[in-house]
Amino acid sequence: MAVKEVLIYPDTRLKEICAPIDNFTGSAPQILRDLVDTMVDAGHSVGIAAPQIGDLYRVAVVDVSGSKLGKKQKNHGLLQMVNPEIIETEGSQIVREGCMSVPDYTGNVTRSESIVVQFLDQKQQLQVIRCDGFEAIAIQHELDHLDGFLFLDRVSSLKTDLFRRKQK
Amino acid sequence: MQHFALTIIGRDRPGIVSQVTKILFQGGFNIADSSCSILGGQFSMILIISNPEISTKEQFSDTFGPLEEQNLSVYIRTLKPGGETRSKLNGELCMISVYGADKPGIVFQVAKELGDRNINITDLNTKLIGDKQKPVYVMMLEAMLPEDSEIEDLENWMKQLKQQLQVDISVRSLATMEL
Repeated sequence: MAVKEVLIYPDTRLKEICAPIDNFTGSAPQILRDLVDTMVDAGHSVGIAAPQIGDLYRVAVVDVSGSKLGKKQKNHGLLQMVNPEIIETEGSQIVREGCMSVPDYTGNVTRSESIVVQFLDQKQQLQVIRCDGFEAIAIQHELDHLDGFLFLDRVSSLKTDLFRRKQK
Repeated sequence: MQHFALTIIGRDRPGIVSQVTKILFQGGFNIADSSCSILGGQFSMILIISNPEISTKEQFSDTFGPLEEQNLSVYIRTLKPGGETRSKLNGELCMISVYGADKPGIVFQVAKELGDRNINITDLNTKLIGDKQKPVYVMMLEAMLPEDSEIEDLENWMKQLKQQLQVDISVRSLATMEL
């Protein structure tokens, strides 16, 4: 068990494309444990991806069940994801996101409303699950980290969209 | 370091930001926070700036003279120590939309309701839309609801105002997802 330091941008590791886990038993259990410990230790956090603690592998954990927003919605509790991949998306919604690796800034980001994600769980079982709402947003945010994307790369509007339309 | 608030406004055209920031860059200024936008036909810039060499407004002398010559109005405000740092706001961030037939006092009445209840407005945009015969006023504001108030309270206060002003008002939580 280890709580790791959460990397803060401009740490270049946050902009790397992470490698898939080929040998599950070699590294995945340790990374998953560190991620869960670090996420729990961070208190307000509902998810964290391996590159945020300096492990450049495709591993992330999400748990929205303890957050004010997430517990009101259907969710899967703690999700431990190795080599996760979003295989289906539906709808879109604009949400305001913040990130532990980019303190003091929030932005409006467009995300899919509903997703189907497949991954290997902590027992190395293949899972394919549908997630909606806050949980879907959290997964999309964490999986972005595995490709070196921060929410800053996804900001879709400054303030209200309404006034940004082209004048006739 | 001494910080200053710099406000620049003038008829919108391409190149304003470039002219302003060239002067700032060449003069050794740092830009901390800034917000720039088109209002009506005017481009307006508000920037919090600092320069290790400058501690009083007088030292700017004619730094921004070239901008005035280009019909841009420039105003400098000297910040008090700590004035460059935003104080920590606790509570729930909300979005309030107010829209309806244009009439005097919409902004004031809504702002008074919020101010009287110690609700801090963190962002505010208004725009007059529609045709000249039937102008519609639209106001979007973000406000921080103090911890002792609930969004339902805010909805109730706004419901009364909606009757009084004969405009549409909606309130929603803008909860930020900390990930």
